[in-house]
Amino acid sequence: MTVLHPSAAPGPGAAAPTGRKAAGRTRRRRPPRAWLGALPLLVFAGLCFGLPAGALLYGALTRTDPAAGTTELTGEHLSRSLQGPYLTSLTGSVQLSALTAALATVLGVLIAQAVVTSRRGALRGAVLTASGVLANFGGIPLAFAFVATLGISGVVTEIGHLDALGWNLYSFTGLTVIYLYFLIPLMVLVVVPALDGLRPQWREAALNTGATTWQFWRHVGLPVLAPSLLGGFVLLFGSAFAAHATAAALVGGSVPLVTLKIADALSGNVLVGQENVALALSLDMIVIAGLVMAVYLPLQRRSSRWLR
Amino acid sequence: MSALPTATTGRPEPARTDAAHGRAATGARVEFRSLRRAFGPTVALDGLDLTAGPGELLALLGPSGCGKTTALRVLAGFEQPDSGEVLVDGEDITRIPANRRDAGMVFQSYSLFPHLNARDNVAFGLRVRKVSAAERHATAAELLDLVGLPDHGGRFPHQMSGGQQQRVALARALALRPRVLLLDEPLSALDAKVRLSLREEIRRLQLSLGITTIFVTHDQEEALSMADRVAVLNAGRLEQCAPPAELYERPATAFVAEFVGTMNRLPGHLTGTGSVEVAGATLPVDGEIPAGGGPVDVLIRPEGIRAEADPEGTATVVSASFLGSVTRVLLDLPDGVAAKADLPSRDAADLLPGVRARVTPVPRPVLVVPAAPVREPSAGKAAA
Amino acid sequence: MAALTPVSRPPVSGPPVSTAPVAAPVKPARRRPRYWRGAVLTVAGLYFLTPLVSSFVFTVHVPNQGVTFAAYSGILSADGFTESLFLSLSLACATIALALLLVVPALVAVRLGPPRLRAVVEIVCMLPLVVPPIALVTGIATVLRWGPDHFSRTPLYQTFLAVQNESFPVVLVLAYTVLALPFVHRSLDAGLRAVDVPTLVEAARNCGAGRLYVILRVILPNLRSSLAGASFLTLALVLGEYTVASLLGFRPFAVWIVSVSGAEARMSVAVSLLSLLITWALLLVLSRAGTGSSAAVPAAGPSTAPAATTPAASAPAASAGGPSTAPTAVPGKE
Repeated sequence: MTVLHPSAAPGPGAAAPTGRKAAGRTRRRRPPRAWLGALPLLVFAGLCFGLPAGALLYGALTRTDPAAGTTELTGEHLSRSLQGPYLTSLTGSVQLSALTAALATVLGVLIAQAVVTSRRGALRGAVLTASGVLANFGGIPLAFAFVATLGISGVVTEIGHLDALGWNLYSFTGLTVIYLYFLIPLMVLVVVPALDGLRPQWREAALNTGATTWQFWRHVGLPVLAPSLLGGFVLLFGSAFAAHATAAALVGGSVPLVTLKIADALSGNVLVGQENVALALSLDMIVIAGLVMAVYLPLQRRSSRWLR
Repeated sequence: MSALPTATTGRPEPARTDAAHGRAATGARVEFRSLRRAFGPTVALDGLDLTAGPGELLALLGPSGCGKTTALRVLAGFEQPDSGEVLVDGEDITRIPANRRDAGMVFQSYSLFPHLNARDNVAFGLRVRKVSAAERHATAAELLDLVGLPDHGGRFPHQMSGGQQQRVALARALALRPRVLLLDEPLSALDAKVRLSLREEIRRLQLSLGITTIFVTHDQEEALSMADRVAVLNAGRLEQCAPPAELYERPATAFVAEFVGTMNRLPGHLTGTGSVEVAGATLPVDGEIPAGGGPVDVLIRPEGIRAEADPEGTATVVSASFLGSVTRVLLDLPDGVAAKADLPSRDAADLLPGVRARVTPVPRPVLVVPAAPVREPSAGKAAA
Repeated sequence: MAALTPVSRPPVSGPPVSTAPVAAPVKPARRRPRYWRGAVLTVAGLYFLTPLVSSFVFTVHVPNQGVTFAAYSGILSADGFTESLFLSLSLACATIALALLLVVPALVAVRLGPPRLRAVVEIVCMLPLVVPPIALVTGIATVLRWGPDHFSRTPLYQTFLAVQNESFPVVLVLAYTVLALPFVHRSLDAGLRAVDVPTLVEAARNCGAGRLYVILRVILPNLRSSLAGASFLTLALVLGEYTVASLLGFRPFAVWIVSVSGAEARMSVAVSLLSLLITWALLLVLSRAGTGSSAAVPAAGPSTAPAATTPAASAPAASAGGPSTAPTAVPGKE
């Protein structure tokens, strides 16, 4: 909240003086009240985003004594959210997200490179459009498509007798297979522009100075792509980490994931009075997602400078 | 590699003499032999034969799509010819992979590796060859010195101007002491002023190193001012390869005549006996005479036309542009023909727009081509 | 590769040209055919097609009964289907309208107004990315609980009830708009980057146009494809959204699918498959409706390119231009 309120609420106020100053300097260009156009957005964000976020922060950090009606600051909920089953769910989410993001990064780059180096424009268009759709094909429908495919009575399960091999969709491995279904297309979308930005002159210049193809990739290609790849990985991690619907439709609690824990706590499936822990867990998630963004943005800035 | 430092030691000045000695021997002779290369239906090279002597700067000049870049890329190993061969010092290198060609190349633009600073870019080829870091640094520093960027070793490409980037690219191309230097329109992405200074710089460096250099450009001024010889290409074929002055004064073909410099195209009549009548004068014909006689077009440079104010004259001055020592005068001749004349500025003082003038060609041998059915080339443009 | 080179090029330094021909079987520089590309694309194609094909088989093939399309024919008459779909669609329309009404003026203002405003608007629009939907719900749920707890005797209480109206929960529109902000912002920002707004505005005003007229008739037509892209992303997000709706106790489309899955497994898969096809169709329609063939496809089309190629663009937006779709729907939807 401390972060959110200042940016959201005083936004217009802070902008006003600069507005006047800028208007004075280049009056022709800057109508003095132009910032008014941004006012509705800022008010909306303050109300609909700032308020819940503030409530979340407040609830996660305070304890209200129903008898006395007093409220005090406490780290109790946070520390509970980092213990026992809650901690397990956090690490479970982190592990699943890291594994799926890493796999999807590698596979997505392979597919993207296959598309980029292909001379057939139709293939490229088809793969990119398909990626756009499949990256959006998350949540409930995806879960059910996989239930029909690899679930207990799924088509592929029955054809391949996978249950005899110990296959279980409702597991960590099963979730990995499902998550890859929307993470790989996401990676393709992220990395194709980066691969396009890899100029043919670089490869030629490298060959011209005696490098082999392998040396080109080692000394030029991969280092230049590194920020994009890392940025893509981080983005995928964030997506997988925040995912809830797919797992909720599928597992119903057999894989410990923080989103499932929060949902349980919130809908009172567990003990009453868990709301504050749910808020604390949410705060944990926000911190992790914030770290993800903090890594992602500078990487993205660098790669856009290199690959412009 | 071991020989590299000796060639480029010290500051630019001593290096030049050193290098001139060291390099003169290494200047290689490059030959294209009946190169053919087609991209689908487009024929980029149609039997190109061309030779660059040791230490020579040869410019490949032509309109876009004439095959000049393809020729360079074949030499660099980025393209394979359909037939024909490329020889360096008599050895056929046609089948050698690009990374073993020993030809340094400077690309049109943005070819510096974005994640490496100038020093590491220059030293890239050395790193690939596992040269020690100390030696790499020393060599890179010398080369950056040589291209006039001694203090820019730590800069990244995005921190440098286009001209600086191309200087670094030049240093990188020279780092492995190639026997041939290939320049693929290295100046075309730069603005006019930088282009001018860098072109002098490249020429100075090339002369001092004595390195055989092939320079691709579509800018004739660039080609004429820098090159020892200029090869004019058209539709994948060599039109003419000659020193700049000869190319300008004695173009071998009509294409060269009209592509290089400004050219008037005036209607004339062959008179037999190897001369042509044009604008009231009879001039000897240089080169081929079209068969059949009859109406022809006569090619005359603007400085080959004289004009003076004369109320009885048949021409009208359209405009006059002062260019310093000369003034270019646009004239309307009878029958809708337009002509450009370059006159010493002091002689052009009374040729104001609208003034009647008399036009006389300078009595010199001229090129003659079959008359164009529709008149629209250079003379037509002048009228517009 | 690395192993080959030393063999065929003995003295690293010497003039390689002269030595190379000696090492007789020099590998020609021509490219080898790339088998790996076919292999990669085939495997990927299998992975991505299998669930779709088997879902279809699952819905039409009933063990011991053979092929039947009952799962599809029963959808329309299924209990709650029309209500939930209608609810989702109306939520989507409201969300699109609200998001565009908020973001378009803000972005135009950013281009006309003081530079610092740009950073503020960008941060405000990007912040929801840091808050996963489930965290947003916990916050919203907390705020909603304040209603009965603290405001039950004030007129504000009516507002709390109104936003949670079962038949049209405004609170979902608000939440979805927050979730959509980053993607709408990215899409429109990328589109606006291709338009020189101050100059256009000056040119139009020079021709005598009023401000509103300028926005409606000059700016917006230039943004057609990115407006379409933003709307598509929002629509996809709202139609598939499950987390917020289910935890707040509403019953739009995605929640309905889950609720019928127990009794009607086949139908829930059939509806899932249909929703994918509908998304696909929408995307295709949009890409035709936009400027060119693939222009409006927010992730694939040119909207990517300008974003990626504008160096000055502040990072999050610039970077995201390409991936925009991508991060787009997923976090919200999941």
